[in-house]
Amino acid sequence: MSSVSFRKLEKNYGALRIVKGINLEIADREFVVLVGPSGCGKSTTLRMLAGLESISGGEIRIGERVVNKLPPRERDIAMVFQDYALYPHKTVYENMAFSLKVRGIPSAEIKPRITQASEMLGITQLLERKPSQLSGGQRQRVAMGRAIVRRPQVFLFDEPLSNLDAKLRGQVRTEIKRLHQAIGTTIIYVTHDQVEAMTLADRIVILKGGEIEQVGTPDEVYNSPASVFVGGFIGSPAMNFAKGTIRGGQVMFDGGAGIPLQGHLALKPGGLEGRDVIVGIRPEHFMPAGEGHALSGQVQVVEPLGSDTLIHFALGSSMLTARVAPEMRPSPGETLSIGVDPSRIHLFDAATEKALV
Amino acid sequence: MAMASETTLVTTRNESGTKWWTRFLDPSEGTLAVLLLMPAALLLTLIIVYPVCRLIWTSFQNLSLTSGVPATFAGLENYTLMLEDPVFWETTWNTVLITLITVPGALLIGMALALMANLPFNVKWPVRLSLLIPWALPLSFAGLIFAWFFHSEYGVVNDVLRRLGIEGVIWFNSANWAFAAICLTIIWKTSSFMALIILAGLQTIPRSLYEAADVDGAGRLRQFFEITLPLLKPAIVVALIFRTITALQTFDIPFTMTRGGPGTSTATLAMYIHQNTVDFLDLGYGSALAVVMFALSMGVTAIYLRMIRAKG
Ligand SMILES: Nc1ncnc2c1ncn2[C@@H]1O[C@H](COP(=O)(O)OP(=O)(O)OP(=O)(O)O)[C@@H](O)[C@H]1O
Ligand SMILES: [Mg+2]
Repeated sequence: MSSVSFRKLEKNYGALRIVKGINLEIADREFVVLVGPSGCGKSTTLRMLAGLESISGGEIRIGERVVNKLPPRERDIAMVFQDYALYPHKTVYENMAFSLKVRGIPSAEIKPRITQASEMLGITQLLERKPSQLSGGQRQRVAMGRAIVRRPQVFLFDEPLSNLDAKLRGQVRTEIKRLHQAIGTTIIYVTHDQVEAMTLADRIVILKGGEIEQVGTPDEVYNSPASVFVGGFIGSPAMNFAKGTIRGGQVMFDGGAGIPLQGHLALKPGGLEGRDVIVGIRPEHFMPAGEGHALSGQVQVVEPLGSDTLIHFALGSSMLTARVAPEMRPSPGETLSIGVDPSRIHLFDAATEKALV
Repeated sequence: MAMASETTLVTTRNESGTKWWTRFLDPSEGTLAVLLLMPAALLLTLIIVYPVCRLIWTSFQNLSLTSGVPATFAGLENYTLMLEDPVFWETTWNTVLITLITVPGALLIGMALALMANLPFNVKWPVRLSLLIPWALPLSFAGLIFAWFFHSEYGVVNDVLRRLGIEGVIWFNSANWAFAAICLTIIWKTSSFMALIILAGLQTIPRSLYEAADVDGAGRLRQFFEITLPLLKPAIVVALIFRTITALQTFDIPFTMTRGGPGTSTATLAMYIHQNTVDFLDLGYGSALAVVMFALSMGVTAIYLRMIRAKG
C-alpha cells in the first residue's frame, strides 16, 4: 500500500495538450475518484500512472519512488480495465494466476491467494470457466479478482462499471466500496458518473479540459462547489443556474425577483455590491411555500418520481427545476409559489464562473 | 399486404388438399432448407462430385489416347503399376519433402512478416502493399523470376555470393541445389499469404490484453507465447490448411524453374500427373496418380480439422 503523487503532470500529443499540469497528493489507503466529462483526460492520467502512456512533463511518485520511466510491471500497480481485458483463452483461475506465475510465485502460494480472492468476490464456482462463459457482471468480478490477488501498492480502475446495466452497477459499486474497506489498498478510480464518484470516494477530483477544477470530499464538492462547472456536474438533478446582480444585500434576478443574501454570503455584501453573478440553486433546496424566502414562477412541466416531484418552472428568463415533496402536484401554466433557503444558494462570478466568497 | 393475403389463401387451399404443388409455396422448415440448399448442391455435384467420380472411374481403366484402343476395365492394374514405378515414388517423395520444408518455412517467415507489419507504422499502406505483391504475382511468374535469380552466370544470387567471396554453384545442375532453389522460391512466394492471414488474426487481438499483460508483469516474449500465439491458433490452422493443400499440388514453380530436372530429381507428383495425362495421353494411369494426390490432400485436411475440433 502506498501514497501516490502527481507533480505538474502533463501529457501532450504533438501540439495537443491533453493533461495540463496536474498537482495531486493521494494518501495511503485513500479512495480517490477522478471524475469529469468525456475527453477531459481522466483515462490518460490513469494510464500515465499505470505506465501505459508516456509522461510528457512533471513527475509521478508511487510511495517515495519516482516512476516516470518505469515500465508498468515495475510499478506494482494493478488495473481493472473498462473492457476487463480478460485473457479469453485462459480460465478464470489462470487469468487470476497469470501475474503471480509471471512473478515466479510458487503455485503452492498461488492457490490459497486465488481461493481467498474468489471467496471475497463470490466467484469460486466460476474458476474453471473461460471468460466467454461468464456474464458481464461475473467478468467484472473476475477482473477485480485478477487485480486483488496481486496485492499491489495501488489499484487503478478505469470506468469499471460502464459496461453493466443500471441495477448491477449499483450492486457492484457497493461491492467495490466493501472491498476497499476490507483490504484498504489505495484506489484511484476513473468515472464520468458523478453518483459513482459521490458514493465511492474519500476524495473527488473533478477534471475539466485536462486541469483540476476542484479536489475535495464528496460533502465539500457538493456543499461548496468551486465553480459553475463543479456545481453543475455534481448532484442530480443538476444545480439550477440563473443570471443575477447584487443590489442592496440581495441578489436580484432579471425578472425582478430577489433573494436576500444570508449566512456566509451576507458576510461581505458591500464587497459584492453591483457584481454580476450566476446564482446556483440545487433543486433539493427549494421548500414548500411559506418556508424560506418566497419566490413565484410559472409552472412549465411537472415530473412525478414517486419519492419526489420535479417541477420545472420559469423565473424571469431562467428555467429552474425544484425537487419537492411528492404530494405537491401543480398544473402546468399555474403560478407556483415556492420557498428557497437563502443560506443554501451559491454565487459565482458571472465572468470567471468561479465561486464568490 | 397483398403478399400476406395471398399466402393465407394458398394455405387454406393446401389444407383442403386441392393442389399438391402449393406445399412449396408454404414449405415446412425442413423442406425450405432442402430447397435453399438445392442450387448450391447441384452446382457442387456438377463441378466437384461428378469430376471426382469420373476420375476415380477412369483410374480403374486402361485408357491411353495414343494406343488407339478403346477403354477397357483394368481393375487395380494402374495402382499396382504405380507401386512399382520408381518415378511415382520419387515425385511423391519430392512433393512430401517440398511440403515439409516450405509449409513450416513459410509459416515462420510469414509470422515474422506479420508481426513486423503489425508494428505501429505511421503509414501502413506500403507495408501492406509489399505483403500483397508476392501473393498477387502468378506462380509461374515467380518461378521465371527466380530461375533468373539463381542463374549460374547472370543470376543475382551467385553475384552476391561472389561479392562476399563465396564461390557460387550451378544451381540447376545439382539435384540438391536445384531442390533448395525451388524451396526458397516457394517460401518467398507463399510466406506473404501466410503473413496476410496471420496479420488479419493479429488485428483481432485487443490491445488492452497486452496492456493487461504489461501490468501483470509479462515481458514481450512471454506475451507472445501466452497471448499472441494461443489467440492466433485458429488463423494459423486455416493458413496451414490452405498452404499444405497447395504445397501438395506444387506444379508451376518447379515446372518453370527446372522442368523437374536434373532428371526427375525435382519433379513433383503434380508434374508427373501432367506428364502422363497431357504429354503421354495416358489418362488411366494419370487418373490413378491424381486419385493418390486427392487422397493425400483429404488426409491432411482431415488431420487439421481434427486439430481444430480437439481444441474447440
Ligand atoms: N493517441 C492520441 N492522440 C491524440 N489525442 C489523443 C490520443 N489519445 C487520447 N487523445 C485525446 O486525449 C483526450 C483525453 O482522452 P482520455 O481518454 O483521457 O479521456 P477521458 O477523460 O478518459 O474520456 P472518457 O470519459 O470518454 O473515457 C481526448 O480528447 C482524446 O481525444
Ligand atoms: Mg476514459
